[in-house]
Amino acid sequence: MTRLLSGAVAMFCLTALAAEPSVTVQAEVVFASTAPGTVEPALAKTRDQMAGTKKYLTMKKLDSKKLELVQNKVQTIALPDSKRVELTLQGLKENVATLKVKTPQVETVYSLARDKSLFTQAGSKDDGDLWLVLSQPK
Amino acid sequence: MKNPAREKFLPMLSPYVDGELSPEERLLVEQHLANSKESTGQVADFRAADGLMRHALEMQADTIDWKAFADDVMAKVTPAKLAVFERVKISLSEMFVYQRGPLMVGFAAAALAVLIAVPVTMKFATPDGYGATKLQVQTASVEDSSTFKPVVMVTDTGDAIIWVVDTTPDAGKKKKKDGEHSEETLTQDPPAEGKQGEL
Repeated sequence: MTRLLSGAVAMFCLTALAAEPSVTVQAEVVFASTAPGTVEPALAKTRDQMAGTKKYLTMKKLDSKKLELVQNKVQTIALPDSKRVELTLQGLKENVATLKVKTPQVETVYSLARDKSLFTQAGSKDDGDLWLVLSQPK
Repeated sequence: MKNPAREKFLPMLSPYVDGELSPEERLLVEQHLANSKESTGQVADFRAADGLMRHALEMQADTIDWKAFADDVMAKVTPAKLAVFERVKISLSEMFVYQRGPLMVGFAAAALAVLIAVPVTMKFATPDGYGATKLQVQTASVEDSSTFKPVVMVTDTGDAIIWVVDTTPDAGKKKKKDGEHSEETLTQDPPAEGKQGEL
């Protein structure tokens, strides 16, 4: 009887875990500077999008991670200056996920969209800026 | 007066007419018939009676309607019903033996369809959480004591860029003095490509 109950409880827990909403995001940490240099080909589009505000001449991907975010569980990404970014899935409604992104300077809440990316400034390093790019995994 | 040879062959005459004798016995009977008119006559009588009887039976058979006979018989014959597994097994084995070509073509076509459909479906399927077509920045905030201010821009492609602007009055000058690149352009020159996002 005890075994049966334990099994039932375990099954219930597994089911509850399986039902917990989750979403996968591709997180990239990018270093960008207006100092002359090279822009990685994969970041050329990003540079062009930012060119209206700031003309970056150097762009380099420092880190790239595919993160599975589970609701209300914080995931962190380390930044080069020993700071970090926190990501939390706040909710998933009608297949639209809402994420909270906390960088050292700004806290942003936004909803994901198909094939769309969020670029948020995540501090500075050397003579340039650090950017966090969150997008849909390919 | 009794003929001993006829006595001997008498029991063989009827089987002779019916064709039931062996070739040797038949030869002996025919030799006997060549010499005995009485036996020859009796054989003729047997044949005549045989013919009459056949004719009478044929006439009797003609009076019966045989059309329904076959149907009646077939109606009484019920085909043996095999178990489902056996029927499927036989059906499959017959298919593999007699329709191998079309079957292989069918399998190949199905495999090809799966190979094409699965990647296409995966490519166009909406992943979990990405059901919206438009990215929406709901809030972008800083701590009350912070001198930074977030500026949200939405690009032509629908992406969102959050710039962090230093709002201290001498931030630009100080940075310029230090040789750093100023962020004043953010506040002084609004972006030409982007537009202000929703905050």
